Formats: sequence, C-alpha cells, structure tokens
Amino acid sequence: MKALIYFAVIVGLVPIQSVLLPHISVWGVKPDLSFVAVCLVGLIAGELDGLLVGLALGWAMSLFSAQDLISGAVLKGTTGFVAGLAGRQVVYLSPIVLVAGLLVVSCLTGLVTPFVLKLSVQQDWWWAVWTVVLPQACLDAVIGGLIYWLMWSRLNIEQLMSESRM
Amino acid sequence: MRMVNLRASYSARRVALVLAVILVLGFLLLPGQLQSVFQQMGSPLGWIISWPLQVVAGIHDRIADVWGRYVALQEVEEENQQLKRELDLLKEQNGQLREASVATERLSALLEFKKQVLPASVAAQVIGRDTGNWYKTIILNKGSSDGLQSDQGVITPAGVVGRVVKTTASTAVVLLVTDPNNAIAGLIQRTRDEGIVEGTTQGQARLKYIPLLSNARPGDHVVTSGLVGGVPRGIPIGTIIRIDKEEEALFQSAELSPEVDPNRVEEVLVIQSSSIPTEGERLGVPKPKS
Repeated sequence: MKALIYFAVIVGLVPIQSVLLPHISVWGVKPDLSFVAVCLVGLIAGELDGLLVGLALGWAMSLFSAQDLISGAVLKGTTGFVAGLAGRQVVYLSPIVLVAGLLVVSCLTGLVTPFVLKLSVQQDWWWAVWTVVLPQACLDAVIGGLIYWLMWSRLNIEQLMSESRM
Repeated sequence: MRMVNLRASYSARRVALVLAVILVLGFLLLPGQLQSVFQQMGSPLGWIISWPLQVVAGIHDRIADVWGRYVALQEVEEENQQLKRELDLLKEQNGQLREASVATERLSALLEFKKQVLPASVAAQVIGRDTGNWYKTIILNKGSSDGLQSDQGVITPAGVVGRVVKTTASTAVVLLVTDPNNAIAGLIQRTRDEGIVEGTTQGQARLKYIPLLSNARPGDHVVTSGLVGGVPRGIPIGTIIRIDKEEEALFQSAELSPEVDPNRVEEVLVIQSSSIPTEGERLGVPKPKS
C-alpha cells in the first residue's frame, strides 16, 4: 500500500510541477513540490523511505528537466535521508518548526545545487542566492507548512509517524 | 506530544546508509557511465509519467482554450491568433529572403541560387516546462520513439527555439536559446560576422566574439550560421538591441532580442540533424554559363 502511494506521488507530482506550477511562479521561480514531498516523507516515514522516495522522485523530475539525472536523484535522496534523521531527533514538530526547518534545508540544498550542476559563469553564487535559492526556499517553506498544517489539523500525525516508522 | 519510536529497525537504517554511500560514491567516481545507465533505465518510467503529463497538459490546454474562446472576447482572440500566425510566417519568409538576398549578391557570379528548403523535421507540441528553477526548458510530446535525439535543433516559423538535451520514449526536453547554458553559432545577416549566441540570466540572448572591426549596429538581424547546433543556416535568432564594446577587449558583443518568445511557444519543429544540408547542397552546384 505504501509503495503504491509513493508511486502515485512520484507519477502525479511531475505533471503538476511541469504543467501547472509555471502558472503560479513568483518572479519566474516556482516551488519545488518534490522537495516538500521528500521532506514530509522523510519526517513522517523515516530515513529509509525518505531516501528511496527522494532518489526515485529526484530521478523522475530530472527526466523532465535539463538537470543531470544523478545529481537530481542524489540531492533529493540525501534530503529525504536527512529529513528522516531530523525527524527522529525532534520531539515535537509543530507547523512553525517545520516551516523554519524547510526554509533552512531548502536554502542549504539550493546553495549546493549550482556547484553540483556546474552552471554557466553568468549564474554565479550571488545570482543563485537572490534569484533562485531564497525565493524558492520561501515558497517551499510556505507550501510545506500549509500541507503539514492540513495534515496536522485533520490527522493524528503522531500516530501516523509511529505506524509509518514501524 | 509526538511519540518518538526508537524501534525503527536498525537494519533498515543500515541499508539506507549503505545505499546512500554507494550512490554518492558512484556519483563521484563514475558520473558519465551512471548518467547513461540512469537515462536508459528512465525511459520506461518517463513513458509512464508521460501519460499523466499529457492528460494534465490536455486538461490545461482545454481550460486555456475555453478561457480564450468563450470567456475572453471570442472574435478578437481568433483574429489575434490568426494575425500572430501570419506574422510568424512573414518573419520566417523575411528571414529567408534576407538570407537569400545577401547570399545571391555575394555569389551571383558563381551560383544559381535555389530556393532554401528546410530539412526533414518532426512537428511536436509543448506540454510542459522544466521541473526545476535552474534551467529554461520546454517539454515536447514527442520522444526517441519518434526519432528525436539529443542535440537536434528546435525551431518555429518565427525562429530558433533551442536544442534537444534529453529524451525519453515519448517526451523530449528542449534547452531554450535564452538559457545561459545554451550556445549556438550565429551570424549577423548584414555584416556576415559570426559569433556565438548565448542566453542570459535576464531571459534575453547575447552574441559574443564579434570582431572589433565589425560595424554591426542595433537593428541588425542575427541568424544561425549552420556550423553547430543542429539547425540549418539562415534561421532567425534575434535582433541586435545594443552593442557592447569594452576598452582593450579583443571582441565586442551584442545584446539580442530573441525572435521567439519562449513563454508563448506552443508548437515547434524538431530538425533531424542527419538531414541538415551542407552549404553546397543548399545552394546547389554552380552551372557553367552557356
């Protein structure tokens, strides 16, 4: 069942990310739903699920981008793994804490990405920070926070986490 | 209060850690080989994802169509679309005629100029945009099963769009000419000076390495030179809007306004690289004067 849900998330997120999100981009920057999904899976279901979903989702997203396949998979896999480890250490996870966490992790991932991708010399570090990394981190944090708040207010997150991590 | 479950299996964590280490090591040691393996493995997954992708794109197009036709002013919208199509067609004809005119003047004593014919091409529809924020790409609804390959040029009647960088069985990713990571050989139509056209971070394009003695000026048209980039010679790229000449620089550069607005591209032609005619084939063999 869990595998089916993950498969549906992977297959469903790519069309949403590539067809619908460009219409709601802010200054040409759109949120990375796969990043948000991987973080939530890692936090709720643990580092193994986070790693595997991250690898698969990063790979699937890279198939529909100019980004190389390996870096996409490895970055998302690492993010899911780190989210899983972080989820194990945090005793109480409120939406506000999650928003702050997503903001920081999205910034860190965004700062690493230009070095991994070996972008054009025009796309230097400052350009990356101001044009992509910070706006995307804000959008990721807001959307991740909203999704988590919806889950938090309607589901028993603690029970879900305990069951998922069994 | 959240319950911390420390029973999550130790072996699962160990498997996850080992997997992560193997992948990171593989990424560091064999990036090229792993890239092609992952690309091959990704084709079936890409095919599966292309179905919901095309469904979502179809729903999106239908909604956009209904909005354009019925919610907005119906006749004005249709007339506007018609005029845009005609304008694109005229731009293409204009670019080809300019190229033909310049070439005829230069070679009139040697060659009988034949009408330029585009090589074999595959028509495709744009169904999506890049899934990330680092590259400017579009996703096409045709892939390797339709004969598309990496490095094939992509055009519209108005001009160059970009080049194919990745394919799955049923989709292709096109890096736009306005992306800073893209480079294509360009030619200033009036002065015949060649250079390299690169995208800029502002969504425009820049012609680099123009000789210092060139008298290029704003308003000059830049077309493909046909040397590299999978696109035949003479396809419009953009119009020069500013010349940048720095002191003690070996070359000058020019800022271009691209002929094609990448945000509005809906249908494109993908040029099949193998069938691009050479300069000699395109212009024809000169006939002896009788």
